[in-house]
Amino acid sequence: MASSIAIRQSLPLGIFKRIAEILPGLLLLAAVGYAGKFLERSFAATGKAHHLTLPNIEYVLWAIVIGLLIANTTGVPAVFKPGLATYEFWLKSGIVLLGSRFLLGDVLKLGGVSLVLVAIEIAISLLFMTALGRAFGLKPKLTTLLAVGSSICGVSAIIATKGAIEADDEDSSFAIAAILALGAIALFIFPLVGRWLGMSDQAYGLWAGLGIDNTAEVTAAGALYSDAAAKVAVLAKTARNAMIGFVVLGYALHWARKEGTEGVGNKAAFLWAKFPKFVLGFLVISAVATAHVFSKDQLTSLANLSRWAFLLTFAGVGLRTNIAEMRKQGLRPFVVGALGEVAIAILTLGLVFGADKFLR
Amino acid sequence: MTQQVGSGSKREKPLMARFSLDAWALAFALLLSLLVWIGLIKHVPW
Repeated sequence: MASSIAIRQSLPLGIFKRIAEILPGLLLLAAVGYAGKFLERSFAATGKAHHLTLPNIEYVLWAIVIGLLIANTTGVPAVFKPGLATYEFWLKSGIVLLGSRFLLGDVLKLGGVSLVLVAIEIAISLLFMTALGRAFGLKPKLTTLLAVGSSICGVSAIIATKGAIEADDEDSSFAIAAILALGAIALFIFPLVGRWLGMSDQAYGLWAGLGIDNTAEVTAAGALYSDAAAKVAVLAKTARNAMIGFVVLGYALHWARKEGTEGVGNKAAFLWAKFPKFVLGFLVISAVATAHVFSKDQLTSLANLSRWAFLLTFAGVGLRTNIAEMRKQGLRPFVVGALGEVAIAILTLGLVFGADKFLR
Repeated sequence: MTQQVGSGSKREKPLMARFSLDAWALAFALLLSLLVWIGLIKHVPW
């Protein structure tokens, strides 16, 4: 009895402690994100007031740049770290809420085309990255982690695969650092190339969703292009994320056979455990919105909630990118990743142009 | 007494760790959608 009271009393205390831990970092995310939004408006207003033709710099870019400056000059004190780590929570919540901006029919059409392209992209990327890793003499498990990270979905895929193939911590931190560094670079290069090629919002969104590794960077690269491109980019990336379980299962079986270990027992349970559940939420919200359950004003509110969640995510993208830390991880995994990324970007660009007629 | 419970039975995982980040994000987004639908959240500006 006494113990159950003790447990009941400690539960709210635990939650309060957790809230107190994440609050400083969460406030920092909000401050950086809102500063980005403020600067976007101020910059545009200054141009208008002085009759200057200034480029429209989106809040996304401001928030990322402010975050990068803080992280790489003063650094982020430890007290902010737990709150900063919530950026992924906001990203996934934002994606679920973004479902309200899609009709289910569009999701199925675009998602279906995306899935076909994703399957081709994953197969070729895995083969290419594996060959590249061998050519550069990387450890086989590090090569596996880099291949999974660049072909599916960045950090989440690396962490899921690390557990499944029992890779070293060192290998996974190499792979994560390389993928994060390359994602940060792609975030700035993709919009420039997209504009240079005069890509439509849909084609660019699809390309960003297929070619950039981490979901946060995909969302930011899409938003840097246009709101419509961001929607398509997130949808394509969500289709890519949905494949994570199959690839991780494939690698888990491959490594278990190679090392003579026990391997995976219940494959369906394994697939379910690795399946990103927020994809289901995205589909549910999209189906509910398609059934006209929400009024027009309510749909606007949901879309805006999604934007606020992404605002915190974009601030997190800049704040967690530590260039000095990435440099410490060594050059070879980065070179392999970079070569692979360039090849994947060209491949996915070709796939997108090929699929464009099916999307019109 | 509390000590006995701690060593005698499996220690409960903290609430936050019992579910994945995905599950929390999903629950949070669905809760927000519900609050918008029932009118508790009326207007979200951007």
